[in-house]
Amino acid sequence: MTADGKYLLEIKDLSVTYRAVHSPVKAVDGVSLQLRKGESLGIIGESGCGKSTLALGIMGLIKQGSIEGEIYYKDQKLTGLPEKKLKKYRWKDIALVFQNSLEVLNPVLNIKEQIGEPLKTHYNLSPPEIDQKVVKLLEMVGLNPKWRHYYPHQLSGGMRQRVLLAMALSCDPELLIVDEPTTSLDPLSKNEIVRLLQKLQKKLGFALVLISHDLGVIKKLTSRVMAMYCGQVIEAGITSEVLKNPMHCYTRGLLNSSPNLFKYKDLWGIDGEPSSGNSVKGCAFYPRCCQGEESCSQTRPLLKYVALERMVACHKGGIETFLRAEGIRKTYKLKNMEIEAVKDVSLEIRSGEVVALVGESGSGKSTLAHILAGVLPAEAGRVFYRNKKVEGRWATKMIGGMQIIFQDPFSATSHRMKVLDVVKEPLDIIKRGSKQEREEEAVKALQTVQLPVSPEFLDRYCHGLSGGQRQRLAIARALVTKPKLLIADEVTSMLDPSTQANLLRELKGLQNRHGFALLYITHDLHLARKVADKVYVMYKGEIVENGVSFEIFESPKHIYTKQLLKDVLSVSRDAPGS
Amino acid sequence: MNKKRVTRLAEYFFTVWVIVTLNFLLPRAMPGDPFLYLSSDVGEEVIFSEEQRQYYLAYYGLDRPVGGQYLSYMSELLRGNLGHSLYYNEPVSHIILRRLAWTFFLVIAAVILSTFIGTVLGSISAWYREKWLDKFLFFNLIIMSEIPAFLLGLVLLFSFAAGLGLFPLSGAMTHFAGYENWWEKVLDILHHAFLPVIALTIARTGGMYLLSRNSVITVLEKDYLRTARAKGLSEKRVIFRHVLRNAMLPIVTRVFLSLGSLVGGAILVENVFAYPGLGHLMREAVMVRDYPLIQGIFLVVTICVLLANFIADFIYGKLDPRVNDYSETYGG
Repeated sequence: MTADGKYLLEIKDLSVTYRAVHSPVKAVDGVSLQLRKGESLGIIGESGCGKSTLALGIMGLIKQGSIEGEIYYKDQKLTGLPEKKLKKYRWKDIALVFQNSLEVLNPVLNIKEQIGEPLKTHYNLSPPEIDQKVVKLLEMVGLNPKWRHYYPHQLSGGMRQRVLLAMALSCDPELLIVDEPTTSLDPLSKNEIVRLLQKLQKKLGFALVLISHDLGVIKKLTSRVMAMYCGQVIEAGITSEVLKNPMHCYTRGLLNSSPNLFKYKDLWGIDGEPSSGNSVKGCAFYPRCCQGEESCSQTRPLLKYVALERMVACHKGGIETFLRAEGIRKTYKLKNMEIEAVKDVSLEIRSGEVVALVGESGSGKSTLAHILAGVLPAEAGRVFYRNKKVEGRWATKMIGGMQIIFQDPFSATSHRMKVLDVVKEPLDIIKRGSKQEREEEAVKALQTVQLPVSPEFLDRYCHGLSGGQRQRLAIARALVTKPKLLIADEVTSMLDPSTQANLLRELKGLQNRHGFALLYITHDLHLARKVADKVYVMYKGEIVENGVSFEIFESPKHIYTKQLLKDVLSVSRDAPGS
Repeated sequence: MNKKRVTRLAEYFFTVWVIVTLNFLLPRAMPGDPFLYLSSDVGEEVIFSEEQRQYYLAYYGLDRPVGGQYLSYMSELLRGNLGHSLYYNEPVSHIILRRLAWTFFLVIAAVILSTFIGTVLGSISAWYREKWLDKFLFFNLIIMSEIPAFLLGLVLLFSFAAGLGLFPLSGAMTHFAGYENWWEKVLDILHHAFLPVIALTIARTGGMYLLSRNSVITVLEKDYLRTARAKGLSEKRVIFRHVLRNAMLPIVTRVFLSLGSLVGGAILVENVFAYPGLGHLMREAVMVRDYPLIQGIFLVVTICVLLANFIADFIYGKLDPRVNDYSETYGG
């Protein structure tokens, strides 16, 4: 029926507006999508982002609202079709597995009647034929056919999910929309349902639209994915790529909130709440975005290609790249030998990312850090900060620029200076504000790193401080210019665990709220596993492996990484806290 | 399951016993005794002398200790003997049976009519919720349901029977009428019953309307209705198999529970139309303190109510598959 290359389902600029008591709520706002026969598409997003409304909209089941835009099924335009004709498509061509709840099945009709009734309506089968088909359907979803004589309330949640699935498949639909198939299920039944859906799609070849906020399920079942926010598609692409490398702050936020992708990492939800559903003028995500600027609130960003098979709706083209280094090389010339400390290193740090640079001592990590910050000149290669080449000190001597914290606090902070002077020194250099303002900023920075702010302490000379205090002082000095990117070279090694934890959480908080990025150079893999989004593994001056932290930590590829992880992480398992 | 049924039955028997006992005690707690009015005709009261009273008290066993009276009352009851009416001088059971049929006739006709009309209007109202038709029905039926049945009866009686002369003023059928065939008899009965039934029906329709409107609206919002629509089922099937099938649950319960209260509610209407039902009889019995008759009527009404409850229980269990399972699981 379909010509080659034609879409099975095509949605053009669909909007759904619910009539509400006070003001209309736009639940779906200008969504377009295409789906070919047999394809699978995942739709992700927080609750209330319009995922389910989109599903109901496709089925033409929006009751208290109006629909704009067009929906095509094969060549038939479904929008605007009278109810009577639309009924012919429902279930027979497009079926929906509703979100599981006790109320989704009619409580007073038995399972057989509920699975079988569309067969009567659409194919006019006789009762024995229906019974036969129901038995077959139940067997197909792995449920004992005897259950067809029972009522919904007598079934467990997992069984009900299977019944819903069998019911949706009763008329062999070409398009199956599945709404949150695994919420409210225990892990075991969840896995079973996922496997079942995988198997059935392979066997029956229906196209699948899967709505879920469970990214693990999306990852397993779909080839393409769309992230929705406030009824708009905010990012779309190939599922594995999007989940590995989200290009929109919102999608990344969703990933950071998902415990099932990488179990060791800290959970961070997205700050703030979605707007109430009324169309805003600018970018809908702007109020919660960590890299939003005033200009974002002016116009609505369009969904545009930013890479192959990847679309993002963002004025900044997705998550900004803060730092990009290409082909960095550095050789130290000693008396009669050359040490290649850094060999052709390239790396990238995006807004709001914690990038861990791990490797053993002497692998060239610190040298690389110094080059990135512009402290040490590179022999070859270039460094860009926010797409501008780093030359001289411009990137480090501005508010909201780049800062580096050196490994050794004793040489990093002058022992002849007073605490307050050390911290406000960067502000003094760039002559920011009045003296009083600078002092206030400095005190704030000191509070952030949990140092005392009594006049007596502020007036103390640095040589009177302990190592840990000097370290924190150095961090406070870096934070006082509110950097967007912080290069932190083993900064927490001198801190006690509690201060370390507090500081890291503080930095993580900055990261999630303001898009602060951190290059975290460490040999502490436990910490790296906890905080890092991306990991670069350095060995003998080379980056031997890099990638998303869960990939590196769960399935390292390079032999050195494997060895490193095995040594560090398995030793600690025997002797915790070592 | 079986154990549950047994307990349930035991509960019913216990209730019957409590009521029978109360039934025995209540008339005896009333001031005065039956012989105050035994042979009083309208207008003139013949008061018995003390000797005569004592004689009759002894004759009917009313001078015995209460405990003894109770025992003999219970044993007679078990044999189906409701006693002998002091006023009508006839077995109580005969009188009640004769009158019960008329009350049942009124009540059942009114229940069927009001349920049907109420449910149909309620469903229409729910379907066109917030549209003008719904608002119109809602407003009018609320007003109607607030008028007491006897007042409505009086108005109907004055206007249609007394004023226009369309219907008879009283009774259940024309006295001493020689009917040519059964059809004429039926017509005559219907003619007499028309106004009382209408009065009762109108008084009850509002309640049924509100209940079914509410019930249908609730069902219309349910997820399973969206499921039914998604399946592309025909409108007819959605309405009857999914909406009404669920919406009727509270309606059925209400119908059966109201049967009992209707027997009581019919008292006033029967008196307005001088309709020879149980309600009318009860008034007469109370006026003359005919203990056995009052007890008999109370007993029959009670049993009617309990029976209606029992049937409601049973039917609800058949209609809603959840009931039995849940009460089993949660021990309720």
